[in-house]
Amino acid sequence: MLRPFTLDRPSTLGEAADLLTADPHESVLYAGGTELLLLMKEGLIRPRRLIDVKAVRDLDAITAENGTLTIGATVRHRGVERSALVQERCPLVSGVARHVANVRVRNVGTVGGNLAFADPHSDLATLFLALDGTIHLWSRRGAREVPLADFIRGPYETAREEDEVLTSIRLQPWPAKTTSAYLKFGVYERPTLGVTVACGPSTLRVTVGCVGPRPQRLFELEGRGAGEPIPALFARAEELGAAAAREVEVVGDRHGSAEYKRALTGACVKRALQVAAARGQGQQIQPRYAHTVIV
Amino acid sequence: MRAAREIAVAATPDKLWALLWDVPRMVECMPGCAEAKEVAPQQRYTARMIQKVGPIRLSVPLDVEITSSEPPRRLALQAKGRDPAIGAEISMQVTLEISSREGTSVLAVVAEGRILGTLGSLGHGVIERKAGDMLDEFGVRLRKAAEG
Amino acid sequence: MPHSLLLDVLREQLGLKGAKRSCDIQVCGACTVLVDGAPVSACTYLAVEAEGRAIRTVEGLADGETLHAVQAAFVEHGAIQCGFCTSGMLLSAAALLEENPSPTREQILHYLRGNLCRCTGYQKIIDAIASCATRERARA
Repeated sequence: MLRPFTLDRPSTLGEAADLLTADPHESVLYAGGTELLLLMKEGLIRPRRLIDVKAVRDLDAITAENGTLTIGATVRHRGVERSALVQERCPLVSGVARHVANVRVRNVGTVGGNLAFADPHSDLATLFLALDGTIHLWSRRGAREVPLADFIRGPYETAREEDEVLTSIRLQPWPAKTTSAYLKFGVYERPTLGVTVACGPSTLRVTVGCVGPRPQRLFELEGRGAGEPIPALFARAEELGAAAAREVEVVGDRHGSAEYKRALTGACVKRALQVAAARGQGQQIQPRYAHTVIV
Repeated sequence: MRAAREIAVAATPDKLWALLWDVPRMVECMPGCAEAKEVAPQQRYTARMIQKVGPIRLSVPLDVEITSSEPPRRLALQAKGRDPAIGAEISMQVTLEISSREGTSVLAVVAEGRILGTLGSLGHGVIERKAGDMLDEFGVRLRKAAEG
Repeated sequence: MPHSLLLDVLREQLGLKGAKRSCDIQVCGACTVLVDGAPVSACTYLAVEAEGRAIRTVEGLADGETLHAVQAAFVEHGAIQCGFCTSGMLLSAAALLEENPSPTREQILHYLRGNLCRCTGYQKIIDAIASCATRERARA
């Protein structure tokens, strides 16, 4: 049983923001509730008011313009998975959404909720970081944009102010001729590691998530591999994986020690690179690794 | 969990030692801490610590006991408390040691202890991180208090 | 009441005990119910969200005395031991087949990934669901 609360259903952002500011310490924003309700059941947070933003106009839209893709905060993971627009503009996003948590969480949980909660052990932020994600926030003071890299400050900590609503995330799909892969590893219900690799004629993007306090781009590694022809990236995958293991910031927790996570990163970056590079050569390799999903 | 910092302070060791015993000012230096009260001089104090860990708000009434004092350089204390609202129990041992280094003082702070309850299960070093951030801010405020 | 969880309302107020409380953190699937045909974890779902929606529990699978195809398949294949995961398995399977009448084995494994079983080792459960796929195709 949860402690009693009132549930408000504002139909505009303004109403939602006003409800939030009326009682900031006792109110929380609510959409899918897949993280929120867990915290409430544990008694770790005890809000007196839930502000349901699912009825707010346009928060559940997926749009594309000027080569970018914008996903509204209340879009469910399943909505991302099935969106024809996402499949067309950035199929990897649709593919990764298909593997978030389990089918029940995918039916209920939202993209905005996932990003606002900033659980380090999650997939979307790692992927969206590789796509230059930009978070849109709205409050009565105005709207603002924050790059995802700056929005996520640490575990469960974001740049969202108390009076702000996360309204959407804008992604910059990679240029044509970029091939990519997302690899996730885990034996628990939440991933232990997530890696995105995108490689193209002049691009190499590598992000790693779950093993450190925030998802991170491996800039040094990217520098080592940038401009390399795809077959060379494939051939150097092991060496680049080792470089990733040295560069990555890790924190030990129940998913594994820092040393373990470093070693895991090296192996998984190598594997993801191999898959992405193979795809870049027109080959679809389907390696199977224990407890690993490759999108 | 464990967090440690070395804080350089442009003040004499003796001045710093005196500041450590100015409990109300010290409590002000620790982020989130307030309501310092003396229960027994140089022995027991109470305070309240309010912190946010992600969306979780922690409010702990602390019982602070000075466990050892080696004037004018070393001080150890124990801080215990429980937030009944979220069932989090804190038990920390803190040592503060002053040394001099080329004319300025260095305060070495080591905080070790446990957080029991569901908060402890957040994992991922969240608590350590928070403790580290708090010690960083403590250092900034302490310097201001000692040098200002 | 806004703070009631769907699982409690189903079990305590409506007497529908098919959905089980097991992990209570939406990862095991024992509390699976269908909301407008989509599987959700009733343990972590506000009852108010069900307003105006069709809720299907395991009690609603059979048509009178006629078992649903997945129920018949589970019995035929011996896919039930203690039965605790069964309600969730059946509903997830039914939802999958509604969405995709001929899923591949990989698709079945993917969809059922969030439904845990401690007894059977899963083989017979997957076999049972796979056999329904064939049946649906044959019927159509």
